[in-house]
Amino acid sequence: MSVLPYAVAAWLFGVGLYGIATSRNFIHLVGCLGVCQSATYVLLLGLGYRWGSIAPIFYDHPPGTPAVDPVMQALVLTDIVVGATLTALLLVLTVQAHKRGGSLDPEKLRPMRAGGKSGRSQGSSRVDEPARGSR
Amino acid sequence: MTAFPALLLPLPVAIPLVLCAVILATAHILPGRMPDILAIGAAVSVAILSAVIARHAAQGPIVYWFGGWEPKDGVYLGIGFSVDEASGWIAAFIGVLYALTFVFAWGFFDRTHGHFHILMLLFLAAMVGFSFTRDMFNLFVWFEVMSVAAFALTAYHLAESSLAGAINFTVVNSLAGFLMLGGIGLIYAQAGTLDFEGIAAAVAHGGRDPVVAGAFCLVAAALMIKGAIVPFQFWLADAHAVAPSPVSVIFSGSMVSLGLFGLAKVSSVVFAGSDQVQQALPILLIGLGSFTALLGGWMALLQRHLKRMLAFSTISHAGIMLAGIGALTAGGTGGMLVYVVGHGLVKGALFMIAGILLATQASIDEIALRGLGRGIWPAGIAMALAGLLLCGLPLGALDQGTRLVQGALAQQGHGIALAATAIGAALTGAAVLRAAGRIFLGLGPDPGDEAGAPSEDEREKANRPLWLMLAPCCALLALDVAIPAEVIAQALPRAAAAFMHRPDAGALAEGPAWLPWASVAAGLAGAGYGLFRNRLPKVVVRPVSATQSAPTRALEILHSGLIGDYAAWLAVGVAGIAAVLAMV
Repeated sequence: MSVLPYAVAAWLFGVGLYGIATSRNFIHLVGCLGVCQSATYVLLLGLGYRWGSIAPIFYDHPPGTPAVDPVMQALVLTDIVVGATLTALLLVLTVQAHKRGGSLDPEKLRPMRAGGKSGRSQGSSRVDEPARGSR
Repeated sequence: MTAFPALLLPLPVAIPLVLCAVILATAHILPGRMPDILAIGAAVSVAILSAVIARHAAQGPIVYWFGGWEPKDGVYLGIGFSVDEASGWIAAFIGVLYALTFVFAWGFFDRTHGHFHILMLLFLAAMVGFSFTRDMFNLFVWFEVMSVAAFALTAYHLAESSLAGAINFTVVNSLAGFLMLGGIGLIYAQAGTLDFEGIAAAVAHGGRDPVVAGAFCLVAAALMIKGAIVPFQFWLADAHAVAPSPVSVIFSGSMVSLGLFGLAKVSSVVFAGSDQVQQALPILLIGLGSFTALLGGWMALLQRHLKRMLAFSTISHAGIMLAGIGALTAGGTGGMLVYVVGHGLVKGALFMIAGILLATQASIDEIALRGLGRGIWPAGIAMALAGLLLCGLPLGALDQGTRLVQGALAQQGHGIALAATAIGAALTGAAVLRAAGRIFLGLGPDPGDEAGAPSEDEREKANRPLWLMLAPCCALLALDVAIPAEVIAQALPRAAAAFMHRPDAGALAEGPAWLPWASVAAGLAGAGYGLFRNRLPKVVVRPVSATQSAPTRALEILHSGLIGDYAAWLAVGVAGIAAVLAMV
């Protein structure tokens, strides 16, 4: 196997992670998570691939014909199922968060902050950022 | 090995899964409390079956191959369960914890249509499968099932804060799943099999190999994310603080420690033959573990939201467990296994007390609750006892685990890690004792205007009788105290050796006897300082507040609640693990 699939997988994962780290919108963030997951597809398919061999279906080939690794393909299938579940669940959570918080921005939807100082007054636990709107 | 116990192996996983489906299909016609009864029955049967399996496994691991696909000529094609004594007892402990949690959650949700129970049973099946499996990919599947059930349970209330916490939890743990799958792909490419033993044989033959090291890096990072080890710990505090109390019991009691259990299994079985990994392990695990123990303890001390405080305390204890694994001896790993049980019991009880406060006093804020716990003083006694046990009061399973972990660390001369385990335990114990003193005795200064909790108003369903909620909590504490130490001390060397696939090494060393007492004393002192700070002379108070305020502020800013920051720290953590692996 050449280095290319490894490189592509690492690049995809890195790009996805960068997207998550900088995202200001939860829907965008879920998309970035999908990009990260694509990295695993590429890696697994690349690892299982054999040059010049058939798909692992022996219906019209004699047994023993070189085939690509079916285990890896099974892993990718499972991975796709996991990905679909996660995306659906995350989008549901996002929709509900938008209903209740009125925003899709992670900055505005933080969970309770350190010391229980937040929840509603986001960001006020930072010392340099006095609670806005208190007047 | 007789066929009888081997045929039992799939049952502890199958029973909850089948019941899940049954409850889901019949939820609309089942009478009100039927899902509760069925769920308790399932959890109890899992506990009993696992205990039976564990007893049979004392002579040697029991193996079950699904569909009869046994390995032939060293080629592993099938997927198997393999249960050693320790894994069996861990599964039994998980069953007990679930059963008591279901009792605690009796009547917790009004109109659930059994959904809570379905998710919990799925969660239970995944945990048992996770501890029984001997197949790398199967391990990943249970890891993901566990995660998905946990995500949904965290967001169960669908309140604003619980949704934000659940999203953070989901994103970070999904990334963990991807990392793990990548690692599994790499190790499969190298070994050509997914079976633990098959991979171990291939790894032992392979010598120094960057692909094996890379696979370990990814799998270890994934399991450490589950185990909430610094710098992957951020999701935990968000998720545990906002999940419904019964769910938090399971999260802190078993899910987090199960990640570390998986790490112990994978590193001592699958990667035992790789010198590179084995050399990197002590540096990584003991270093990160000590740091996690200290940071978690400190953060716990800073919280006034009770569940968030307990969540940070779990992080601290996860660090202690990780340091135990890092000793790479039967004593360290055996101690960690006992610690998982002891910690799960005590922390589960504490989250139940938090739930009781939420239900009866409609608040979870330590300051706002000052003195309000007097009416439910039995819960206060339980909380004080649990706090002392967390500190290291020499009593029960948690203490035995602590002493074994400390013994293993002392034997290898890891003085700093030894101190970190004692200090971490003292800090979290101090936080719990301070809260107990303030809530149930009304100690500490009168907060005045500050009494109003700045976080969102929270409450949980209030019309459950106190005894119903208190009974499972006391049962957990009683179990921790009553587990006979001699029986564990006798069985543990054998069980730990079988768990690590090593020859039995005989009796295990214990740490210095004075160390737990020192932790307790430090914990009490810390709690006293927190409560009576304004009565102490200024000479004592000023240097402490001067030195701690800047790092405290930095820590609070770090725990920003922003998923982007968490993702960045995750990248840093993976890079750090890779760097250590590359350097040895």
